[in-house]
Amino acid sequence: MGLFSDIYNTVAKFFRPQEEQGDASKSVATNRLKLVLMQDRTNLTPRILEQMRSELIDLLSRYVELDKELLELNFEQEGDQVALMLSIPVIRAKDEEEIEAAIQAHKESLENDEESESEEFEEESETEEETDETESSEIAEEKTEEEIEAEKTDAIAKELQDVPKIIKKKKVSKPEEMGNNPFKSDETENIEDVIESSSENK
Amino acid sequence: MTGRVIVITSGKGGVGKTTTSANIGTALAKAGYKVVLIDTDLGLRNLDLLLGLENRIVYTIVDVIEERCKLKQALVKDKKNPNLSLLAAAQTRDKTAVNAEQLKEICNTLKEKNDFVLVDCPAGIEQGFQNAVAGASEAIVVTTPEMSAIRDADRIIGLLATKEEITSTKLLLNRVRPNLIKSNEMMSVDDVVGILEIPLVGIIPEDTGIITSTNKGEPIVNDEDALAGKAYRNVAQRILGEEVPFLDLDEPKGIVAKIKNAFAKLKAKV
Repeated sequence: MGLFSDIYNTVAKFFRPQEEQGDASKSVATNRLKLVLMQDRTNLTPRILEQMRSELIDLLSRYVELDKELLELNFEQEGDQVALMLSIPVIRAKDEEEIEAAIQAHKESLENDEESESEEFEEESETEEETDETESSEIAEEKTEEEIEAEKTDAIAKELQDVPKIIKKKKVSKPEEMGNNPFKSDETENIEDVIESSSENK
Repeated sequence: MTGRVIVITSGKGGVGKTTTSANIGTALAKAGYKVVLIDTDLGLRNLDLLLGLENRIVYTIVDVIEERCKLKQALVKDKKNPNLSLLAAAQTRDKTAVNAEQLKEICNTLKEKNDFVLVDCPAGIEQGFQNAVAGASEAIVVTTPEMSAIRDADRIIGLLATKEEITSTKLLLNRVRPNLIKSNEMMSVDDVVGILEIPLVGIIPEDTGIITSTNKGEPIVNDEDALAGKAYRNVAQRILGEEVPFLDLDEPKGIVAKIKNAFAKLKAKV
């Protein structure tokens, strides 16, 4: 029997269309390549990417309850434009009180981190913004720590406005791509692998 | 007349820049255009070998720059085709013997009396690349369907995009192996084009004939029967602005492949 089935398998394999054979190593190559090119093109190392990912989770978790495991952070290129695509399944909307509490908790943790007069520099940052436009070159030369911090908060505020738009874009324009997304969870695992291995090296 | 200066580059070494330069140059010359090939790989010259001109080189590009000869004296005419000539690289010098400005000047002079100036670029992204690109207004990026070559090509495409003088960058996919693509073991043409996102100027199949043509010092475009030769002739026609369909590399060759294919089709019908 064994001999016959061997012969049968050999013959069957011979006549099978070639597409069915092979271990599809090309899709592994394509996905690895897309990931590495994204890093090359954006100067985002796996470590920085992971940091961005965790900061975004922190930020968005204040407003909605998210499925952190299924978060997808991708770059998609259309022509010259690189778009950052963020897709996170929302488990549940938070109510107003919860959001307020989360924001408050975050503010407190920020204050604790800095141990500085946050109110004061918020006012400063506003006046500085006005001068920014007229004397930007001078200011750029002597950036104080407070200004850098103010820029940071500005950037966070901007992020707040931008991120939901990106999510929306993803959901509205590309629902069909959800299935075969090149940087799906497999690749995020890869990132983690890389990080793990790099930290092991150290 | 003002000819076109096209740089043939890749980033990674060994993907077929020099073979491509020799073949496109020969094909364009055979089509009746005046062509000069410049080898800018100083210290590692090879274009002379592929053209079978290694014994005829008297002066090199460095001799021209250091004014030991006139530009015209350094141009070596091809054995068969008087339309084609080569400006060889110096074998005993390195990349620092030439700078971008000097190469640009040479390209500008040559394009006045030729239809095409093809610049064979060295591997890498350093001085040699910067020199080779300096005089060009078009670029052909050569890559193979392998990760490392594609990654390097992506880098080169990014660098070319920062050069204002380069108005067109096209992709030449070399060493394509249809049977590996069919079995999903090699990235397909569409995969590579999808990733690099620049227009395709040619698909060259892997062809053992390339080895023998290199051995003989005769570009494969001269071989009417070779598939790679035909693919390179098509590239030349596309450079000339003609619309030529890409070769169908899927067509199986040999009796075994044909039987297999017939059975596959039969199975698909049932």
